[in-house]
Amino acid sequence: MKPLTYITIMTTMMSGTMIVLMSSHWLMIWIGFEMNMLAFIPILMKNFNPRTMEASTKYFLTQATASMLLMLGITINLMLSGQWTVLKPSNLTSSSLMTIALAMKLGMSPFHFWVPEVTQGTSLPSGMILLTWQKIAPLSILYQIAPSINSGLLATMAIASVLVGGWGGLNQTQLRKILAYSSITHMGWMAIIMMYNPTLTLLNLAIYITMTLGTFMLFIHNSSTTTLSLSHTWNKLPLMTSMILMLMLSLGGLPPLSGFVPKWMIIQELTKNDMIILPMFMAMSALLNLHFYMRLSYTTTLTMFPSTNNMKMKWQFESMKKTVLLPPLIILSTMLLPVTPMMIILD
Amino acid sequence: MMTYIVFILSIIFVIGFVGFSSKPSPIYGGLVLIVSGAVGCGIVLSFGGSFLGLMVFLIYLGGMLVVFGYTTAMATEQYPEVWVSNKAVLGAFIVGLLSELLLACYVLKDDEVDVVFGFNGMGDWVIYDTGDSGFFSEEAMGIAALYSYGTWLVVVTGWSLFIGVLVIMEITRGT
Repeated sequence: MKPLTYITIMTTMMSGTMIVLMSSHWLMIWIGFEMNMLAFIPILMKNFNPRTMEASTKYFLTQATASMLLMLGITINLMLSGQWTVLKPSNLTSSSLMTIALAMKLGMSPFHFWVPEVTQGTSLPSGMILLTWQKIAPLSILYQIAPSINSGLLATMAIASVLVGGWGGLNQTQLRKILAYSSITHMGWMAIIMMYNPTLTLLNLAIYITMTLGTFMLFIHNSSTTTLSLSHTWNKLPLMTSMILMLMLSLGGLPPLSGFVPKWMIIQELTKNDMIILPMFMAMSALLNLHFYMRLSYTTTLTMFPSTNNMKMKWQFESMKKTVLLPPLIILSTMLLPVTPMMIILD
Repeated sequence: MMTYIVFILSIIFVIGFVGFSSKPSPIYGGLVLIVSGAVGCGIVLSFGGSFLGLMVFLIYLGGMLVVFGYTTAMATEQYPEVWVSNKAVLGAFIVGLLSELLLACYVLKDDEVDVVFGFNGMGDWVIYDTGDSGFFSEEAMGIAALYSYGTWLVVVTGWSLFIGVLVIMEITRGT
């Protein structure tokens, strides 16, 4: 892609999200979604081959369907209330339609099948944008209509997402698919707390984006897309192997790391609302996720993949790749737990 | 009578969609897309949206026909012959651009023409009250509101159209 085209398309993609975030008019929100979706297609197809073509077609079809459902919800809302403002949609039909449309855009459980497929089909940097930046716009709209969402519908989708995200990732060897399933799980955690404390959704989104960005940048730095190639890291970048361990455990939500912050606060908030079975079920399903993160860190960090003697000296050669963003991202995505009180800033 | 017309149009609509999604040669796909688009306009017309139906038929389908013809012409000839040399075409383009700029400056000089450059329709909710629209249907009033208050909306939609063409060019040209 030519640089000028790339800049134009990137700008349009970002301004689409910005329009969604800043608008108070449903039509502009829909236009923002469409701009974002349209401009993201060539980014998915940056490497031009049949796999990326298939991935971007799948992405286009699901996102277009979701946009259409959103427009249907908006139209029904307009028909019944006669106004375009993003106040709470007052009737059940339109708010359910909007919720389903946004869940489809986010890749939550009954509509999650496209996420691993698209992420696996595209390159690592595009997958990184897909799993981080593209979640912001739909979640912001979900956050805005949160008071009127049918809680049973959203809770069902959230629990299903947590379960499917854990279950689907179990036997995967492809890193992008694992991260896609991890994204589905995190979306479930974000959705379940939407009804009780939407601020925690933002907190979870912020920490999820930081961790996913860090993990993806590490994989881009290694150019590794499989568990096998990741397990060859130990003789190239010995320090990175321990960082992968920390990042994986943080994604799984183990206590001293920043991935624990949202899990802790969400479980606390749910328990405060007299829900015992729901957070227990979700914490149990998080164990499934933890299993495949552990498997990844076990093959990468805790074992040394057999190699010839020459290969063991590879760490002596300095890597020429610049890693400007990697250290701050790794620090943010592992050591944020002590500054948890600071996150009141999101409220 | 109207119900039957809408029913028949709907059948053609669905058959058209089946037609272009069942992967014949792209050129027939485009043709069937235009046909089913026109039928869709007919359905909108039958429900009373005369202005919307006509607009979509004229602008959307007219534009699509032009793009259709253009791409067909492009596909048949790899290196099309132009009228004059490249430099002359570039010179004419620059002259046109400059004269357009001059015209814009001329319009901007006296502040009376506020419709073209009055980019102030942002951040406020406006109730566009038209009263009784007489013989016209009400959708035409939406266009009036769009050009009176929604200037930024026009900019965004225009940009989206441009990006649409850019994206299509980008993903169909291959490597």
